Amino acid sequence: MGIEFRNVSKHFGGASVVDDLSLEIRDGEFVVLLGPSGCGKTTTLRMLAGLETVSSGDIFIDSERVNDVPTQHRDLAMVFQSYALYPHMTIAENIGYPLRVRKFDKAQRVERVNRVAAMLEIESLLERKPRQLSGGERQRVALARAIVREPRAYLMDEPLSNLDARLRVQMRGELKRLQHQLGTTTIYVTHDQAEAMTLASLVAVMRKGRLQQFDTPMNIYNCPANRFVAEFVGSPSMNFIEGERTTIGIRPEHIQIFSEPRDGAIAASVYVTELMGNETFVFLSFGTNRLIARAPADFRAEVESKVWLQLAKDKMHYFDPKSGESLTQRHKV
Amino acid sequence: MRSRFRYVLLVPALLFALAPVYWMLTISLKSEVDQFATPPPWFVFTPTLDHYYDAFVTRGFGEYLLNSAIVSVSSTICALVIGTLAAYALTRFELPWRLNRHLSLWILSTRMFPAIVTAVPLFLMMRDLRLLNTRASLIIVYTAFNLPFVVWMMRGFFADLPRDLEEAALVDGDSRLGALVRVVLPLVAPGLAATAVFCLIISWNEFLFALVLTQTDAAMTLPVGIAGRVTQYEIKWGVMSAAASVALVPILVFALALQKYLVRGLSLGAVKG
Repeated sequence: MGIEFRNVSKHFGGASVVDDLSLEIRDGEFVVLLGPSGCGKTTTLRMLAGLETVSSGDIFIDSERVNDVPTQHRDLAMVFQSYALYPHMTIAENIGYPLRVRKFDKAQRVERVNRVAAMLEIESLLERKPRQLSGGERQRVALARAIVREPRAYLMDEPLSNLDARLRVQMRGELKRLQHQLGTTTIYVTHDQAEAMTLASLVAVMRKGRLQQFDTPMNIYNCPANRFVAEFVGSPSMNFIEGERTTIGIRPEHIQIFSEPRDGAIAASVYVTELMGNETFVFLSFGTNRLIARAPADFRAEVESKVWLQLAKDKMHYFDPKSGESLTQRHKV
Repeated sequence: MRSRFRYVLLVPALLFALAPVYWMLTISLKSEVDQFATPPPWFVFTPTLDHYYDAFVTRGFGEYLLNSAIVSVSSTICALVIGTLAAYALTRFELPWRLNRHLSLWILSTRMFPAIVTAVPLFLMMRDLRLLNTRASLIIVYTAFNLPFVVWMMRGFFADLPRDLEEAALVDGDSRLGALVRVVLPLVAPGLAATAVFCLIISWNEFLFALVLTQTDAAMTLPVGIAGRVTQYEIKWGVMSAAASVALVPILVFALALQKYLVRGLSLGAVKG
């Protein structure tokens, strides 16, 4: 059981969008495809759904090669970024659509629609049309339409990106809970590293059509395979100090700031501080380098004042300045 | 002020459009003496239904009306089915060698020459197929002539429709055709209605091919039948007007019934949202 991409590539005209992607996803896994826009993550998802043809390589679902299987026979469910609710149908008809085309009888359809509607707390909306719903409600309907039957996998294409920040965090939690409940393989596309970290059991980081790293969120964060992954995951971003032979990377939380000089500490000056409420981001400069450090909320320092930085040696990352590959040997969990 | 200004513009336009219709209606109801009186009795005359009786009971206008109805409705349905499928394919499937564009232009180009150019070839073809004086010949010709129009109209409507909806339908397990029927077509219904009205009007009023391809009452349509009352010896104004007035009714009813869609269909895609 599971999904496998084997050396999958996709070209549009001359442009390579997905380049030699190999990925094995076991049954029940929550995999997030993470990357900046244009990295090929959505195309990867669409190839899996059969909405995009594969230029070369093979895709397997449950060990069956599906390259030439049309979308409607792949038995997947997808949540679109735009939700893609059918505007001329009521919410009940929208949710029941996958059952209707599979020739479920009416009683069974109503029963199932009511069950998922209850699960997602949208029972009161069933008779309305999509245009009468708020963004968050539409989102739930799109989810309901996906889970109303038991597909082999859920595909989600940035499903939360059209929601406001508060709702996004709430739905994120609900999605995780839902997947835990259903246990169905889920492939989720996003450019938001926070979504990836919180939702995924495995994260696949992509860049320019190539897979950069495929690992647990913990390992992605603590043992990034290269500079790109290190920089893309984590907020604020990892700091980099360019050396001749190696580039040193250090995360903002691994920099300690002291107002007095001490052994092994580097002198720097405060560029600016940003109070976030629960913590303070301190922007520092030393030499030509700019660093960001996380400090407690009560941290106070004047602009241009002198401070001393202690970098946690065991938390440093080393990268090849040319290739960007990680040179760090660290035990993964 | 604004609304009064609107009437200043509307009234002359309406007069201009409706005066001939009024003239036709009154002629159909006037006795022959009143028809030729000078000055004409504009509003006050003794109405008579003689011409209607003459047209539809004594002469075969009822049959022409039936022929017109069968031919226009059939050809409209054929053109809509074929044209809609073609338009859908042209907007949704990418063909090699930029064929989507070339095919579309080629389809349009069939309307770029005057219709009369094809009259003789079509006559010969229909003769060889033994389809002269049949409704089938007219249905085939009208379908062919309406197709480019349908393809181009529907192409625009399909292009404006987000692809996500069909893709969602496919992922939900529907076939291409199922998605087209259950998701796409209901959403382009206003466009479909507007296109249907135009096809129907064009077929209903078509004169040239009907004249060339039909000589007997078996397939003669109203426009040809009406024109046939202009004879060597007399012009039957009353009968012609009566038949023309009746011919007006079905299209009027159809257009009114679809008016809601018509306005939406014609402006569809013009404004986002």
